[in-house]
Amino acid sequence: MYLALRELRVARGRFVLVGAVIALVAMLTTMLSGLANGLVDDGISGLRRLPMTHLAFQHGAEETFSRSTLNDRDLERWSGVEGVEASPLGVSFVNARTESGKTVDVALFGVPAGSFLAPRHDAEEALAGPPGLVLSHEFEEQGIEVGDRLTIVGVDEEVPVLGFTYAGSYGHVDIAFTSLETWQSLLYGDNARGRFSAIALQGDPDTVAAAAERIDAADGTATVTKQEAYAGSPGYAGETQTMSMIQWFLLVISALIVGAFFVVWTMQRARQIAVLKALGASRGYVARDAVGQLVVVLLLATALGGLVAFGAGALVGNTAVPFRLAAAPALTALGLLVVAGLLGCLAGIRKVVSVDPAMALRSAD
Amino acid sequence: MSLRLENITVAVPDGTTRRVLLDRLDLGVQPGETVAVTGASGSGKSTLVAVAGLLRAPDEGRVLLGGTDATALNDRGRVRLRRDQVGIVFQSPNLLPALTAREQVEVVAHIAGALDATARARAVDLLERVGLADRLDARPAELSGGERQRVGIARALMNEPTVVLADEPTASLDPERGQAVLDLLLDEARRVGAATVVVTHDPDQAARADRHLHLSRGTIQAGSRA
Ligand SMILES: Nc1ncnc2c1ncn2[C@@H]1O[C@H](COP(=O)(O)OP(=O)(O)OP(=O)(O)O)[C@@H](O)[C@H]1O
Ligand SMILES: [Mg+2]
Repeated sequence: MYLALRELRVARGRFVLVGAVIALVAMLTTMLSGLANGLVDDGISGLRRLPMTHLAFQHGAEETFSRSTLNDRDLERWSGVEGVEASPLGVSFVNARTESGKTVDVALFGVPAGSFLAPRHDAEEALAGPPGLVLSHEFEEQGIEVGDRLTIVGVDEEVPVLGFTYAGSYGHVDIAFTSLETWQSLLYGDNARGRFSAIALQGDPDTVAAAAERIDAADGTATVTKQEAYAGSPGYAGETQTMSMIQWFLLVISALIVGAFFVVWTMQRARQIAVLKALGASRGYVARDAVGQLVVVLLLATALGGLVAFGAGALVGNTAVPFRLAAAPALTALGLLVVAGLLGCLAGIRKVVSVDPAMALRSAD
Repeated sequence: MSLRLENITVAVPDGTTRRVLLDRLDLGVQPGETVAVTGASGSGKSTLVAVAGLLRAPDEGRVLLGGTDATALNDRGRVRLRRDQVGIVFQSPNLLPALTAREQVEVVAHIAGALDATARARAVDLLERVGLADRLDARPAELSGGERQRVGIARALMNEPTVVLADEPTASLDPERGQAVLDLLLDEARRVGAATVVVTHDPDQAARADRHLHLSRGTIQAGSRA
């Protein structure tokens, strides 16, 4: 890359525009990666935090709590399985009115007091007592305090706030834990008949899978892993698909931009390439020189864009925007961006190697 | 014989027929010998240089450089042979805009994978010989036309070629400066013992070479010894 690097230094201005575009795409890619993480967190962080490995839903519920209703009979089948812990879990979305009259969305998770799902020991104690809620910390930011009473809209029941925990959110709604009995009475009144949404399972994957095969067939349940259950979170599939579609688009755009620049730039440099070849440079030499030059631009611009995005990410980190930058996925996305740009170059490589060295003999104008 | 063209024929399509540019042309140039080629515009002078410099394959005939039959080689072999044996001075100086005079010459060694301290010293030495000792770090935009062509001469000699080809190297210079550049080229080519072919329009210039050939209707019409 004897010529390429010197050209980069001397004719820096020529690369500013394409470099800026690549940097912006890299920035966008990084931001998008943060946004995708944030949305995933918002969608399923509550599920992710629960110490379970699998979930059994009603058959046909498609991992969606609101479509799934199981009861104590289903639970019994799982309670008997050696090496697997099973706990009923009630999940529903409710509105709650605060004492100041504001209404908040709540993902209400009903968990039996003694369950392995109970978020913490103090929470477990709280759930064992009279009806009450243990809220996700996010509710604190809305001015709700321990001892406040929330009115569940619709059933008009008042429940006191017992405490806060790191519950996370589900389907972009912050979670409140309550005891399963409270959950059932809020949802079904006096007519719960042992119903809840799904069964949370914790056990060795093979053991659970073996038992699931038998129980699902006999009982009409559908057992999935915790990760598979994310797909049932409202909006989750659509959001992740949209995000990855945008990321693919950015990759394609980046490949096209870099490829188009490469071809145009190569046409401008055709005479130089012809001269190199006339001086004895092989196809490999001129190809390495040309591609290497753009790879340098690509790497520098991508790194710059990524850094700026990480800086900007730190600024939006504490706002309401669901945004969380993580190094690994962001670096993967940026790496793919470089690969896409490289592919764009390689698509135009024929233009470089096919330059006719005899062109150097023709007069310049 | 350093350069030998045997029975070279080059034809290009011309409408429905074929136009013959070089017609069974023969030419041999000894080491250290300088040959001037003149001819009307369109007579095939540049084509001759392209064939001799392995920039264009003839339709028929053989090209021998330093005893190697280039027409028997594959693409890669021809590129190598050109890299190691041929130095070309172009009509437009064809310097690379981003490189300094020193780098224009060094890049030849880089292409050959042999850019070391010796090569760097050799590049400076060649530039000093063509009178550019104090212009080593100037880029083409900062050089005059004559200076550019001098850099071109130094570059053509960098790989210690056995064959030097120059296609109207002084076309862009005024007669006085052109004469000086041509003398420099001939002197240097003789000094390094390269078989040299210089295409020119100028009979005065042609007279300075050891031999003067005239190209017409695809063949060499007249030969004379200076
Ligand atoms: N690849 C090609 N296809 C078609 N015609 C060609 C091709 N290469 C050269 N020619 C034609 O062949 C003729 C000889 O070209 P060449 O460049 O060798 O002439 P020349 O003697 O160098 O002329 P000048 O003195 O103007 O430089 C010209 O008429 C040119 O247009
Ligand atoms: Mg010509």
